[in-house]
Amino acid sequence: MRVLVGIVGYRNLRDFSAPFAILEQLEATPPGQDVLLEDVSYNPIAVVQWLESEPPDARFGRVVFVAAVGRGRPAGTVTSWRWDAVLPSDADVQQAVAEAVTGIISLENTLVIAGYFKALPSEVVVVEIEPLDHAFGAEMSPDVQAAIEPACARVLELAQRRDALQQLPPLPLPRRDYQKTGGRW
Amino acid sequence: MCFKNLPVEFDERGQPFLRGGIPNPYAASTAPANVPLQLSAAQVEELVRRNGHIQSVDFDPVTRVAGALAFHAVADLKERRVLEARSVATLFRGYEVIMVGRDPRDAIYITSRACGVCGGVHSTCSALAIEMAIDCVPPPLGILVRNLALALEFLYDHPLHLHLLAGPDYSAAIVEPTNPSLFARAKKTEARHAAVHGYPTMAALMEDLNPLTGKLYVEALHMTRVAREAYVLICGKYPHPQTIVPGGMSSTITPTVMNEMYLRLSQFFDYSKKISCIWDDITDFFFEANPAYRQVGQRRANMIDTGIFDHPDHYDATYRNAAAWGDHRWATPGAVVDGKLVTTDLHTLNIGIEEFVEHSYYEEWTGSGQKQRFAGDPTGKPLSPYHPWNKITKPRPEGQNWKEKYTWDTAPRWDRLGMEAGCYARLWNTAVAQKLPANPFIESTGHSLKVRVPKGALPEMDLEWHVPDVWNAFERNRARAHCVAFTAMVALNNWLAVMDRMKDGDRRTSTPFEIPKTGERRGVGFWSAGRGYLTHHLVLDRGAVANYQIVTPSTWNASPTDRWGQPGPYEEAVINTPLLEETDDPKEFRGIDVLRAIRSFDPCMPCTTHIHSDAGVVTREVNTCACGVED
Repeated sequence: MRVLVGIVGYRNLRDFSAPFAILEQLEATPPGQDVLLEDVSYNPIAVVQWLESEPPDARFGRVVFVAAVGRGRPAGTVTSWRWDAVLPSDADVQQAVAEAVTGIISLENTLVIAGYFKALPSEVVVVEIEPLDHAFGAEMSPDVQAAIEPACARVLELAQRRDALQQLPPLPLPRRDYQKTGGRW
Repeated sequence: MCFKNLPVEFDERGQPFLRGGIPNPYAASTAPANVPLQLSAAQVEELVRRNGHIQSVDFDPVTRVAGALAFHAVADLKERRVLEARSVATLFRGYEVIMVGRDPRDAIYITSRACGVCGGVHSTCSALAIEMAIDCVPPPLGILVRNLALALEFLYDHPLHLHLLAGPDYSAAIVEPTNPSLFARAKKTEARHAAVHGYPTMAALMEDLNPLTGKLYVEALHMTRVAREAYVLICGKYPHPQTIVPGGMSSTITPTVMNEMYLRLSQFFDYSKKISCIWDDITDFFFEANPAYRQVGQRRANMIDTGIFDHPDHYDATYRNAAAWGDHRWATPGAVVDGKLVTTDLHTLNIGIEEFVEHSYYEEWTGSGQKQRFAGDPTGKPLSPYHPWNKITKPRPEGQNWKEKYTWDTAPRWDRLGMEAGCYARLWNTAVAQKLPANPFIESTGHSLKVRVPKGALPEMDLEWHVPDVWNAFERNRARAHCVAFTAMVALNNWLAVMDRMKDGDRRTSTPFEIPKTGERRGVGFWSAGRGYLTHHLVLDRGAVANYQIVTPSTWNASPTDRWGQPGPYEEAVINTPLLEETDDPKEFRGIDVLRAIRSFDPCMPCTTHIHSDAGVVTREVNTCACGVED
């Protein structure tokens, strides 16, 4: 089974760039030919188009997204959850597309758009790292820096162990961003 | 005389000068004549208090636009008209602040981040401003390749606007619930250009405009990929190019690159025929069904464009010769006032620009104790203290209410008039001015623009865009659609010119340069986004940026009401919009006509992302309207 480890984030944004540090560390010891490490921090429509261009017999069987997501947990907390693939309303999907084509990079939009266009496999996992410092710059805060190593270990486990997802209950997309259109189109 | 409001006259040689005998010629008290005025906040408050059917209608956020835009309107649902309209840019952009003190070359990469669609146009505009400031002239191939890069970027942008952002407003999914009788008519109305686009009825066409599922929506997603692939062949990546430099492009151009590009460019031949015919049919259908649709988004035909796509035989990167090289652009610069083209001279355009902040979250930079940095442009023509070269960006988000300040946008004015920007201004100027370089594909007639699109699967076709009698939301979209063919043929002309040069062995795409570390220098990038007008005004002091001012199309279009009460273009267009939606129930009111008016401008506010504030860095819009923040 081919596995995609895709990181989503912004560069030079201190703790919010933690996924890039995770990617660099993973690339230092490539996890095998069945695991592709990729920066997918770009227009989710283009991500969909890239995923769709993979040969049918070589499509990914599992995708592990990695992102820094602030949810008020202690800085450096590493969590993982399996997406239940339930999509928001069409109005919200449409808004996500509008954001995507106009330059917004976001984990939620990548999930929603790739999910809507059926570009994702049934096994989609998200590894989150809780950021603290939200400012321009290359350095991470100490707690987040210390969490890079365990985050890499968690990503590798999810990418390489076939049964790794059994421990993860499917969860819905966090509602934080997906009530924004207020039902309007 | 092209200026009606600024005290600028022209001598017998055509040189502008300030009219004598005026102690303070640019006094802000000099109001423009014969302009529409917005009701004052107090007048609107009184109307709302006395009439139950007059209500606030707020769109926060305005969806299906790029970035953080909110809109506040007060509508009379009985008379079905809008009484007050306020356009709100909800986030601070701040690139002008970020740029100060930096090496000017940083501008190419930093200002690109102003937009997630048109990063290339900001990079290019920066490069133009820098090369003007440091006297660096690109080689001919560099100019041609730059034209190609930006044309390809526009071919990403136009389908995006037409079928992903604005298009759904005309889809079955939206027309049927908001105007059922119109949709019933669409089912019985044959589409005039069915032979080109393949839709037998208007209803069938509307079905495929449906968001997410409609074939036109999905096709537009695909076409954005085609354009992007062509673009990255010469720009490295999209949306933030890596090959734009002062003095040209750092791309390596080979026959393989050009052939790969042509494969993609040629896919826009048939697409552009189809798109033009679709939007001709949509526009004609709505106007014939109800002539009141001509008033949706209607405003004075006041528009401005700097022109774009330079000619290698004329462009020399100097301000001194800007009027001459501007005239040889593939899209002619110009200002249109009340439907008349009043100038195509880049100097005249430049000296007529002012920015005001009366209703914006900024502090005035003029007034007592402030010295005007430049009294004139580099050729001695007079400049206002409110001109971008004199402007100082001083953020001050205080006094948040409709009477005082309500937006992060400024109010740019030309000759103190509210002008709008868009690719339609590009078409309008080019059609009327008749200054196009000789070529086999595009002809300007003085009242229209004819575009001959080569054979694809569809036969060769002559398309024609006519300067419209009434300026409104539908005409904006129709012009945008015709701009696909225009842009594709500009690209084809430049592609052919590149091939000709390569046959002669020319491979040089850039000129080496150094940033001088002494003295004060000025430059300005006159360029355009897919959406129209773009300028970057630059002041260098001993090699570092002393001032950097960006005016984008949406700076013009989303501008607030100015100090004289003249509404900004969105505001004016919404005030003129009749509410034709078929509902008498205020709870069911969806504001589709207002949204059509706003979206026809293709609002682009993402310049507001990636901004540093005390609270951190914003990487995604936060929409917080000032509605109800009255004190």
